Amino acid sequence: MQQREEKQLESALDSIIQRVNDLKTSIAAMIYKVENEYETLNWPTFLDNFALLSGHLTSLSKILSHDKCPVLRNLTVLPLMLSPERDEQLAQLTEHRVTTFAHDLVPDYLRTKLEPLAENKMMQLEHKAATVAYENAQKQVAAYQKVVTHIWDIVSKAREEWDVESSARGNAQQHSSVSDTHLLVTAVGMGKGLKPVPNANGQPGQPAGSMMVAPQGRPGSASGQGQIPPATQTMTMNKAPSAIKTNIKSATQIHPYGR
Amino acid sequence: MHDGGKATRVIGIRSAEQVLTKNMTTPDSAKDSLTSALNSNIIPNREYLLQGSVVDQYVEVLLHRLRGLCDNVDDGAETFYDHEMCFSLCMNSSGNPLVFPLRVRRALDAQDAPYQLRYIGQQELGDKNRPTIVRSSIDVACSASIVEFLQELGCRLDFEYTARGYMFRKGRMKITVSKICKCGGGNKPGENIELISQSYLVELSVLAPSGYDAIAEDMRVFAEQLKPLVHLEKIDYKRL
Repeated sequence: MQQREEKQLESALDSIIQRVNDLKTSIAAMIYKVENEYETLNWPTFLDNFALLSGHLTSLSKILSHDKCPVLRNLTVLPLMLSPERDEQLAQLTEHRVTTFAHDLVPDYLRTKLEPLAENKMMQLEHKAATVAYENAQKQVAAYQKVVTHIWDIVSKAREEWDVESSARGNAQQHSSVSDTHLLVTAVGMGKGLKPVPNANGQPGQPAGSMMVAPQGRPGSASGQGQIPPATQTMTMNKAPSAIKTNIKSATQIHPYGR
Repeated sequence: MHDGGKATRVIGIRSAEQVLTKNMTTPDSAKDSLTSALNSNIIPNREYLLQGSVVDQYVEVLLHRLRGLCDNVDDGAETFYDHEMCFSLCMNSSGNPLVFPLRVRRALDAQDAPYQLRYIGQQELGDKNRPTIVRSSIDVACSASIVEFLQELGCRLDFEYTARGYMFRKGRMKITVSKICKCGGGNKPGENIELISQSYLVELSVLAPSGYDAIAEDMRVFAEQLKPLVHLEKIDYKRL
């Protein structure tokens, strides 16, 4: 039973130490940056560093609040031996920050309470809170609550507006349509949809000033289209002569230019 | 002019000589200089082109962005209203019909501006690495009688349309945002106008001598800045 607990404690301590070391190295990197690159450092990289730190802190607090982590509060660290002599092992462990495990340093390093200054301040505040009358305290709490709810309302309202805006933007993504692009490009490039429509005579309705018929163009295109049909015509003639024949004819009339 | 010092007189005589020799040899030298210009590849006869469109209701947003991106910041966008007639000359040489397209463009909003005659060649799409369409383009300014001339030549009016819109420039790049309308049955363009789409045609083009492919890369970068409002792409309309 005790063995298992010890093992658990050891593994938890290991992971905590690892996280703390991560935190330490990133803090060191940040300090280095601030001290050495303050001329070229920009806000985005600085904030990136902060994000890194906060990530490390979050993972550390996650480990501390994990189920498997033993309650460290219940454990006691007891200094068994104090010595004014220099301790090489200790110096190595602490990167030469602490060289002796002596009576003047130990109370500071093994302190589990708040810092003296902070402790004093807390005491004062607690004392002040204790002296305030109950009604007064209630009033203050109510006023504070009111302020907080008001700010909460403002924030949630702004968030709602942003949500609506961003969703509207998501819906309005359609700034251009591919089919319209193709329509316009083919129209400008080839005249698709712009060519004069054939009128009742089957002749294309020519806009004013364009009646000139290219004499050599017409037979050329006509023969170009006419060269292939005869074979099909004779083939299909036996089956359904009239219908097919008129079909071909009307098709050539729709595209008189053979393009 | 010849009253001046000796030096000026000498210069004057020399320049007169030059003019004389130039005038005497004009037919040949014009052809020669054209050939040499062609050989030294300084004629901007290649058009690099990207095309796209924008829906009517977002055209203001696009224009706003273009105003910010392009060079004509002070005077805003230049507007234009053009009528384009596309002729084709069918040549039936040795059995295979050859269609030779020619385009005449005139400004409807500036009646005294010259007409523009333009030949546009087959578009080359190239492979994926080439960012734009490339096509031959030769254009020349001419007078209003060009239409009659072309018809006498045997050209046939294939189709015509009007384009009304805005023009921007950025360095050597030209960006047009225009509404394409079909010309109605009326004698004059402008009557019976018929919109063919609910979108504006957007074109990004550069005229450059052949081989100036670096400009295509600039165009790709510029087109990238107009996304997602307009997707300027190389479109093979022959396949559509």
